[in-house]
Amino acid sequence: MTEPVRTTPDDPALVRIRGLTTVLNGKTIFDALDLDIPRGKVTAIMGPSGTGKTTLLKHITGQMRADAGEIRVNGENVAELSREQLYKLREGIGYLFQNSALLTDFDVFENVAFPLRQHTKLPEVLIRDLVLLKLQAVGLRGAARLTPNELSGGMARRVALARAIVFDPMLILYDEPFVGLDPVALNQVLKLIRTLNQTLGITSVLVAHELAAVQRVADHVFLIANGKVVAQGDPKTIANDGSAWTRQFFGGEADGPVPFQYPAGDLAQALGFAGAAK
Amino acid sequence: MNVREPQRNNVVSQSLAQIGACGLFLLTLLAAVPRSFRYVRETIRQLWFVGAMSLTIIMVCGLFVGMVLMLQLYHVLSIFGGTSASGMVVALSVYRELGPVVTALLFAGRAGTSITAEIGLMRATDQIDAMEMMAVDPIAYVATPRFLAGLIAMPLLCCVFCAMAIFGGHLVGVTWLGVDNGTFWSNMTAQVDVRTDIVNGVLLKSLAFGAVVSLIAVFQGFTTPPTSEGVAYATTRTVVASSIAILALDFVLTAFLM
Repeated sequence: MTEPVRTTPDDPALVRIRGLTTVLNGKTIFDALDLDIPRGKVTAIMGPSGTGKTTLLKHITGQMRADAGEIRVNGENVAELSREQLYKLREGIGYLFQNSALLTDFDVFENVAFPLRQHTKLPEVLIRDLVLLKLQAVGLRGAARLTPNELSGGMARRVALARAIVFDPMLILYDEPFVGLDPVALNQVLKLIRTLNQTLGITSVLVAHELAAVQRVADHVFLIANGKVVAQGDPKTIANDGSAWTRQFFGGEADGPVPFQYPAGDLAQALGFAGAAK
Repeated sequence: MNVREPQRNNVVSQSLAQIGACGLFLLTLLAAVPRSFRYVRETIRQLWFVGAMSLTIIMVCGLFVGMVLMLQLYHVLSIFGGTSASGMVVALSVYRELGPVVTALLFAGRAGTSITAEIGLMRATDQIDAMEMMAVDPIAYVATPRFLAGLIAMPLLCCVFCAMAIFGGHLVGVTWLGVDNGTFWSNMTAQVDVRTDIVNGVLLKSLAFGAVVSLIAVFQGFTTPPTSEGVAYATTRTVVASSIAILALDFVLTAFLM
């Protein structure tokens, strides 16, 4: 039986997950997963492809319901919230999508201003100042009037980041923030994540595969595989903890607890060489 | 036989499931109407997009439909010496059937497909999910304004279509074929009934067609698989389903309103 979670706004953990179980299309994604995300820290969720890292973010934001278990964000049980309460909670959460998800009808300025216009009645001059400050923080104040299709992948990611922080959220979720970035843009995004965490005290959760980048920015790392947390700890030391999971994942080995090959029959038989093998 | 039966059942059950899902989506849309009032600017923007931007195709097609109708009728009516009634017959045909039906078919092809493709691409590029994450209800912000815009635009477009068709009929009948101008208008005004032909024929039918086409377009956009192939299929389904629904609904409405 799942132990009740007692998270409160002054709890050291901003997100507490207990007994999370998710089955999608007959495949168990999470099997009674327990995980705590510390308040005010940068936490990285790592793991092989298809282990449900993005699904975990969707559970935290209430976009996806779990089959069992409990998720509390800042003391609130996400599954029990009404639509209005869930939207209220989401106003305090920034989400950086893997493909930026900028609204293509609007230019950069309007994309960043969008949440402000929807949820506040701030005067236009204040909205303008707030948006320009956020764009300045991501180094794109000069690109305010460009449209999303005029931006490079890295620039779009930074605009999406400006939009995610426009409300100064308590929690930011980054889904694969380093994919496709050149070294300069990668460096800037790493600095931004760290600066936002230090200056605004924002709790950050990032889903990533790049250990080198994670080591530079994260305070804590969870390695997820087979529906459970198989390793966790300091990013500098987790890669050397000696377990089969970390050895395979951080060493990039094909053989290990997680099979590289998707389950399939015999290759020789599939190629029609079954008779020759005899 | 044994192999084909399950496939047929599958198609039937899938179609019924789609109709059921579309009905539930309509209830969701209607429930979101009060919440969408705060997005009036978005509704006006969509009204411009599906209404004003469709004007050219509606006007041109209306003109040619009226012209060809008059040409055909004149030659048939001249056999019986009844060319003086040609203006009236053009008007009744356009108001009762051709106006609402052809406008709706053109609307489905021009605005319906673009609504489906736009929403489908928004889903494929996570824009709908991004709105959800920014605590903005995508049904109230994206779906309902497009549905309401279609509902408002269709009767207006139908009126424009009918006016252009009458103008086209006049152009061919009076200017080209020599039908008397006074006879053309007097026969028309004497036989056209405002309630039966204009309110029931033009306004009520086009309102119903606007609701059906907009609902199908928005539903297909929201339920399409977020892939390029999925968006392509959804766009095609919008045209096919809308066309069938328009013609079937036209029969039902005509039977009840006659």
